[in-house]
Amino acid sequence: MQITVKIKRFDPEKDKRSRWTEYRLEANPMDRVLDVLNEIKWEQDGSLSYRRSCAHGICGSDAMLINGVNRLACKVLIKDLGNDIAIEPIRGLPVEKDLIVDMESFFDSYEAVLPYFINDDPVPAGERLQSPEEREIFDASTKCILCACCTTSCPVFWVNGRYLGPAAIVNAHRFIFDSRDRGTDQRLEVLNQPNGLWRCRTAYNCTEACPRDIPVTKAIEDVKRVLLWRTS
Amino acid sequence: MYRGKEGQWAFLLHRLSGVAIALYLIIHVLDISLVMYGPDGPFNTFLAFYHQWPFRIGLVLVMAGVVYHALNGLRIIIMDFSEWGIRYQRAMWYGVLVLTTAIGIPVLVKVIPEIFGGV
Repeated sequence: MQITVKIKRFDPEKDKRSRWTEYRLEANPMDRVLDVLNEIKWEQDGSLSYRRSCAHGICGSDAMLINGVNRLACKVLIKDLGNDIAIEPIRGLPVEKDLIVDMESFFDSYEAVLPYFINDDPVPAGERLQSPEEREIFDASTKCILCACCTTSCPVFWVNGRYLGPAAIVNAHRFIFDSRDRGTDQRLEVLNQPNGLWRCRTAYNCTEACPRDIPVTKAIEDVKRVLLWRTS
Repeated sequence: MYRGKEGQWAFLLHRLSGVAIALYLIIHVLDISLVMYGPDGPFNTFLAFYHQWPFRIGLVLVMAGVVYHALNGLRIIIMDFSEWGIRYQRAMWYGVLVLTTAIGIPVLVKVIPEIFGGV
């Protein structure tokens, strides 16, 4: 099928503002957006820049705004988009070049919530046991691949880049609800800041955008309730 | 425009209605306070000014905004306090829209004749 791909491009050495560039090419309906981008880069315009790594929806490198919604380019088929495709960099983070954004502040927020196991109890002789039911509680939030689809779909994050964002909160949820972890107080202190958890206005864009089907808003609301009952 | 679903529009409408209500309240308080200047003061002039049709339509919109903001506020409270609320947030939003429209109809019945009658 013949498709038209409009890409929002920005070259920091030449452009003051981003500009749309159109490419026409032949694509297979079963091609993914990433295949199309590769085709453009390899056959039409080698200057096009974007991130990709595993190309199988696991590394989280190729999040972009595809036809108005945040998606991973490697997980969207052309047949689901039609003949006209518009691709932009994800919003709210500074664009470095074309579809590549500066993820520094996103990872700073991630690190701020202490996304690792904290437990200073004496080391047990065996494993720290956990029942399947206890594991189930935070199962969904272990699936995050830090692609930033959720955080950059959030209207609050677009206007306030200091908001920790859904991805950081989901990763806090992963440890707060882990029965073996003891770092909840430290994490809640971070999340209780003015640009923390309470900035969430439940717009659900994060939940709709997540390529791993994590119920992001539900996770945020779960953490809100923990914080509410602890501080009240 | 980001192609968000119901949640995004619920949020946007909640914000817009909130700002509209706040602005209306400020104007309303300033306006009513003019009564302090007595019957010969500017109060009656302003009152007549606000009876023009664009303000009547604005009144209908503010009324709809108040009802929407209140009902959607309840939806948000339910979402904040129960998982049920998150599961049914979409259905609840449509419920909010239906109720807002239903409550808005009597307002329209009252205000539309006033607009055309120039009351």
